[in-house]
Amino acid sequence: MLNIENLSATFVVNGHELPAVSSVDFSLNPGERLGIIGESGCGKTTLAMAIMGLLTQAKIGGKVLMHGRNLLSLSERELRDIRWRQMAIVFQNNLEILNPVLPLAEQLTEPLRTHLRLDKQEALARVGELFNATGLDPKWLAAYPHQLSGGMRQRALIAMALACRPELLIVDEPTTSLDQANRQQVLSLLDELQGQFGFAMIMISHSLPVIRRLTDRMLTMYHGRIVEEGTTRDVIRRPLHPYTRGLINAAADLFPYKDLWGIPGEPSLATANSGCGFAPRCCQAVENCATELPELQELGNNRRIACHKGGIETILSAEAITKNYSVGGDQIKALRGISLQVRRGEVVALVGSSGSGKSTLAQILVRMVSADGGIVRFNGKPVYDHKATSTIGGMQLVGQDPVEAVSHRLTVLDAVREPLDIMAALDRAERNRTAVDCLTAVHLPTDDDFLHRTCHSLSGGQRQRVAIARSLISKPMLLIADEITAMLDPSTQAVILRELKGLQHSRGFSMLFISHDFALARKIADRVYVLDMGFIVEEGSVLDVFDNNGVSLTQSPATRKN
Amino acid sequence: MKTVSLAATASSDSASKAARIRKRYLSRSGRCALFLLLTIALLSIAAPLVTSHSPQIVSGPSLASPSLAHPLGTDELGVDLWAQLVFGGRISLIVGIATAILAGIGGGIIGIIAGYRGGLTDRLIMRLIDILLVLPDLPVMIVLAAFFGPSVVTFFVVLSAFSWVTTARIVRSRVLVLRERGYIKMAESYGAGTFYLLHRHFLPEIFPLATVGMIRLAGRAIVAEAGLSFLGLGDPTSRSWGLIMHHALSFNGIYYTDFWKWWLLSPWLALTLTVTALAILGRDLEKIADPRMEKRQC
Amino acid sequence: MQHIVKNLSEYLLTFLVILTLNFVLPRVMPGDPFLFLSSDIGEEIARFTPAQEAAYRQQYGLHRPWPQQYGIYLLRLLRGDLGYSIYYNQEVMAILLARLPWTLLLVLSAVFLSTIFGTLLGSLSAAFRDRAPDRIIYPLMITMSEIPPFLLGLVLLFVLAASMHLFPLSGAMTHFARHENIWSTLTDIAHHATLPVLTLTLVRTGAMYLLARNAMTTVLTRDYIRTARAKGLGPARILARHSLRNAMIPVITRVFLSLGGLVGSAILVENVFAYPGLGRLMRESVMVHDYPMIQGIFLMVTLFVLLANGLADLAYRRLDPRIAEKRGGRS
Repeated sequence: MLNIENLSATFVVNGHELPAVSSVDFSLNPGERLGIIGESGCGKTTLAMAIMGLLTQAKIGGKVLMHGRNLLSLSERELRDIRWRQMAIVFQNNLEILNPVLPLAEQLTEPLRTHLRLDKQEALARVGELFNATGLDPKWLAAYPHQLSGGMRQRALIAMALACRPELLIVDEPTTSLDQANRQQVLSLLDELQGQFGFAMIMISHSLPVIRRLTDRMLTMYHGRIVEEGTTRDVIRRPLHPYTRGLINAAADLFPYKDLWGIPGEPSLATANSGCGFAPRCCQAVENCATELPELQELGNNRRIACHKGGIETILSAEAITKNYSVGGDQIKALRGISLQVRRGEVVALVGSSGSGKSTLAQILVRMVSADGGIVRFNGKPVYDHKATSTIGGMQLVGQDPVEAVSHRLTVLDAVREPLDIMAALDRAERNRTAVDCLTAVHLPTDDDFLHRTCHSLSGGQRQRVAIARSLISKPMLLIADEITAMLDPSTQAVILRELKGLQHSRGFSMLFISHDFALARKIADRVYVLDMGFIVEEGSVLDVFDNNGVSLTQSPATRKN
Repeated sequence: MKTVSLAATASSDSASKAARIRKRYLSRSGRCALFLLLTIALLSIAAPLVTSHSPQIVSGPSLASPSLAHPLGTDELGVDLWAQLVFGGRISLIVGIATAILAGIGGGIIGIIAGYRGGLTDRLIMRLIDILLVLPDLPVMIVLAAFFGPSVVTFFVVLSAFSWVTTARIVRSRVLVLRERGYIKMAESYGAGTFYLLHRHFLPEIFPLATVGMIRLAGRAIVAEAGLSFLGLGDPTSRSWGLIMHHALSFNGIYYTDFWKWWLLSPWLALTLTVTALAILGRDLEKIADPRMEKRQC
Repeated sequence: MQHIVKNLSEYLLTFLVILTLNFVLPRVMPGDPFLFLSSDIGEEIARFTPAQEAAYRQQYGLHRPWPQQYGIYLLRLLRGDLGYSIYYNQEVMAILLARLPWTLLLVLSAVFLSTIFGTLLGSLSAAFRDRAPDRIIYPLMITMSEIPPFLLGLVLLFVLAASMHLFPLSGAMTHFARHENIWSTLTDIAHHATLPVLTLTLVRTGAMYLLARNAMTTVLTRDYIRTARAKGLGPARILARHSLRNAMIPVITRVFLSLGGLVGSAILVENVFAYPGLGRLMRESVMVHDYPMIQGIFLMVTLFVLLANGLADLAYRRLDPRIAEKRGGRS
């Protein structure tokens, strides 16, 4: 029914070109519900205006095909004919969206009398019905816009939009400035009305829960371009674009336990230069990301993604890992074919009770211990030696026991600097500076006194922090944290985990967080693997694995034990 | 909270940035206006140097046309017109400046008191302002001039008595807004006294407003004085431009001869140029002083 | 309802102040009123014998104590008795009523014409803001709005009337003319009124234009205009019902308010064109120090201004439903 082809809208201000929308194409079938999500300024509203033909000050390119007719090539008169009858829009609600000096009855009956040529009585009757349908008492028709509350105004806007029974309804941010109760009501109302009248709906919002509730398909927009597309369920469960993932993580409604983390960096203005707009904030950006624009590619399954790397890449994958031990005469099958993946910029939790094989797996991953079967790949390359852990930007392991991990004889500075010394990277002064940076990052003092203390005199928490600082000094892309807080008291545990998560978020490295503690895991993880008796018994995003009560949905014995 | 569209923020960002840069300097018309005003002021102040004739003593034949000896001709008594013009400029200058300063500063101070003190003082002052605003100024000035006799001092007192009102109102509104600003309240919480607040925070904010107001005031004062003189209520000893016009119009043959072309036109031109230049300058300064300032409708 | 009462009492208070001022002024000015009547200032000379002086003094009650005079003054006002003109030898009220229509003709015509032209040009400018039409009209209007009315009037008088003889030099009608029918009378009046009305209109149009331009520009950027376009309404309807209806609010209130300011301009303009309205009367009375006359004119003029302000307030309340009701309105 609606086909957008290569739509672009550029504003020219003082000689500068500001591309608000670029190369947008998608299509919509009758009765379908499409969501468009993105932060403020990403171009969603401009897109809506372009479709409706209401942009007067921009240069518009491309085609907007409604039943095969290009709306952009129509004259103003022809457009006027279509407006409200074939497509209508519910604007963002504010005090001036309706004319303050005209009563609501007049404003709502206007389109009916203009387009459907109804006379005053008929139009009023029809509008009265619409008010009823949206839950408003028709007596308010005689009122002026300023006399209604925000929620009522929103409903009036919806009623007005449906006056001529359009085929397409564009809804722009229907719930801003509404309180929780009103918000739910408006969303239910839209749900109901769409079911009842069967119009196609484009829902524009920056709020993921709204999109999740009301749409079947969704688009993510950034800097005026589409960066991801897919069915709503799919995209939320498994976002492919780092921006979408960031939006999901920032939705407080979705994750009852996980802490709120935004996207690092600030949204900037779109400029007319090339390169992926998200590159400055992306955790996996490489050089050509800033210079070449990624095209939107089809990936099958109705998915499209605009990323040079084809979406969020996998940094670690383990396939069919097996490990056996012999104790005495018995064979213990510690790991029986474990497969897992960690992607860029995410936190994966591996939970399981003691003895489930977690630590063994951790050591296999970093090749401290070799597996009996299966392959570990880091950045796509198989791990069979210490290459991955002995380079800058590789992976690092932090273990459980801080006393074991750090030599008691070394000074703090030496201990933290050790990996760089071994790798012979940079010069001495640089290494010291980097070490100090890492110590600052984990909130340890960096005065001379402290730097030259021997690790022997540090507390458990301090020592664990030193270990973490050391693991960070080589700027790893993946940090494997094996029960790093098990031997610390709860307060120190909380502090360290928060700091670590903060570092992970701002520096963008991935983390495999191994723990027996579910509660901790659901606080910081994006995805979860549950290990029991050598098998992965559950896996999935935090949304799926833990329901709202934090109870695992598949109720396996392993999880129930915890 | 309304989500602001990208284009709007972007366009308003760069547009306001460009506008801000532009507005630091006087426009071309503003500069012309300033130049004109300075020339007129200079000619008036240096009047004795610019003309050898006296503005009050007969120095030539009556109703002479412009010539080398009398560049603008003479009036019906034989007094040189150019001399009258440049000396008359002094009156306008004095009236304009004096009123502007008195009314501007006076109005400013009253406005600050009203705005900052609030309460009863404010209400009383506002009531006074309201009454004065309703009174149509010209009729009152005519009446007062009629009763108290024409003299430059009367004018200037009467004009000031009316003009302070507008400045006071504008200054008061500004002060009301400023008083609630966060940084003022912080300063108050640190123990700042009224005097400190006045000279550190209020005056720098008010000053541009008051200055622009004063320029407008000067213009209106000059026009008012000219109007009253033209009506015949002016100080007969002053030779203000309005008075020259009044004398010209009192001359019976003025409508049927060509004398008006220099006798009437020269003070007319002088007045129009001065007033228009002041107005243009005022508008320009208004834009520079504060782009967000609400436009007063005259 | 409360507002009307509150406003009314404010206006009453102002009026009382004016009345008192009117009363006090002639009595505090230096010198004796009757002294001036014998002077040669002004074009007319009037002389009174001591007997006549005494009679007038008696009649005006100038020998009574002030509070009593004030009481009498107020009482007389309530009856519509504004006193007796010393110079014209007639009831002040009668003279005022005879001259008032001419001033009204000028003022009302000027307001009407300037509002229409100002609004039209202002809307045009707003629609084409910063483009060719606006760039030409805007500076022109600004200049025009700054020129003082009497200066403009003078130049029109001399160029169009004295030099080119297109219009009469003075008066409201040709003296001693006999008119056969109403048309001839009306044409004559219009011919005489053209220059003064033109002057006042030109001066006012500038200000109206600026106001209309601002108001229209603001309205055109409002969201509800975009909503109206989105609904597919025709441009005529959007202009009439949505744009103008909102933009007119500040314009119409300003029209009433400007009536007050126009009075001052009218006084000067009448004198430039020797037009026999209240303005000319005022000057004449001042020249001869006819105090009752001066006071009468002053009172009438002030009343007019107060009325105009009151109407402005009323209009504003009626036109904008947001102000109209104070209670009601949830947000």
